[in-house]
Amino acid sequence: MKTRTINIQEALDRLQTAAKQLERPVTFMEVCGTHTMSAFRCGLHSLMPENVTLLSGPGCPVCVTSQGDIDLLIEVTVKNNVTLCTYGDMMRVPGQLGSLEQARSHGADVQVIYSAMDAMQLAQQHPEKEVVFAAIGFETTTPPTAVAVTEAKKLGLKNFTVLVSHKLVIPAMTALLEGVDVNVDGFLCPGHVSVIIGSEVYRPIVDKYKKRCVISGFEDVHMTAALARITEQARDNQILLENLYPQAVTPKGNQVALDLIFKIFEPADMSWRGLTQLPKSGLKLRKEYEDFDAELRFGLVSRETPEPAGCRCGDVITGRCQPDECKLFSKVCTPVHPIGPCMVSSEGTCQAWFKYHQPQSRLRKKVAL
Amino acid sequence: MCLAVPAKLIEQEGKKGRADLHGNLVPVNIQLVPEAKVGDWILMHAGFAIQRLDAKTAEETWAVLENLDNRLAGDDHENANH
Repeated sequence: MKTRTINIQEALDRLQTAAKQLERPVTFMEVCGTHTMSAFRCGLHSLMPENVTLLSGPGCPVCVTSQGDIDLLIEVTVKNNVTLCTYGDMMRVPGQLGSLEQARSHGADVQVIYSAMDAMQLAQQHPEKEVVFAAIGFETTTPPTAVAVTEAKKLGLKNFTVLVSHKLVIPAMTALLEGVDVNVDGFLCPGHVSVIIGSEVYRPIVDKYKKRCVISGFEDVHMTAALARITEQARDNQILLENLYPQAVTPKGNQVALDLIFKIFEPADMSWRGLTQLPKSGLKLRKEYEDFDAELRFGLVSRETPEPAGCRCGDVITGRCQPDECKLFSKVCTPVHPIGPCMVSSEGTCQAWFKYHQPQSRLRKKVAL
Repeated sequence: MCLAVPAKLIEQEGKKGRADLHGNLVPVNIQLVPEAKVGDWILMHAGFAIQRLDAKTAEETWAVLENLDNRLAGDDHENANH
């Protein structure tokens, strides 16, 4: 695909022009935590035409992790005396036994790492430690876990396991569309997940479910251009799959990474916050790698545990409500004292609203007075 | 979590290498992009190269990120590299 440089003013003009010509208001959804933050940080919502709404979908890995899986992670840390390695995003997510941060303050060995390989190497350097890696994230984050497990098997490590909560984007989008209470006119598809899975996997969303899909990068100009294009599609009654991030996304994705993912993992039913259990929507280790499965090593059993009382994170990440429709939002649930994961995660919709959106609303109300 | 940033591959030895991440020299695993060579721009995520990029795209991305950083100066934003 040919690329053409577009500037943000041109993209905004096209968005505004297309919006004026719409026959009815439209709603689009992004399914990527990085898109959520990028849109709020660059002020995109404040520049949106009134008849175009951009919702945040189930794209933040921390936010979509079920309460039961979060409890499992904290349980293995507190009860099994392991060294838990995690990406920083998970540290403050509250579970029934507190958060990982609290567990660490009470003496648990919890380490924030940058890459899955850091966890594997820690196990290699410290055979006296039982190292568990909290493997969360979508397809972008899964290949590093697969490499770490492959290397651990090659090295014959006996003290390294992973607690797998990797998820797949397409089943989540499909589940939303199968639901009766979420209605969107199209998706801004995640750029870096698409680097791995490619653009063609969205074809059934377009062909079967008749929803527009536009793959977008993460800079303000990328997102504005993608919104302009998807709005133009709506204006023209077109339903197309378009890749506006061809610099990094190819039709078939990164085949080396995909082969590796499915060599180590196989699709499995997975619980999602707000979407319950979805068939084949996550990954589990294949039988030949089950020595590295923390659930088997420590006899962990994932349970369905309820979300914190009053918390509407599940509704927020499925577009059923906006953060300020949750009674806890900004009152008892704040970034300093988060109740639900959407307020904890740096990519969570509630935290984005709290930091970037709400002050503007307050300001508007004040001016109106 | 799925954020990836452009970096320039400056050393390579087998599956491992070192990348210039906007002035920071960081280790990078390149086994997901086996065709990457020293001097290439790569997209990096969680210590791994996940794609090759052309130089123009990489430079444009950094220009936008720098611009955003400047605008956010003083903001209490957290590092969202994961």
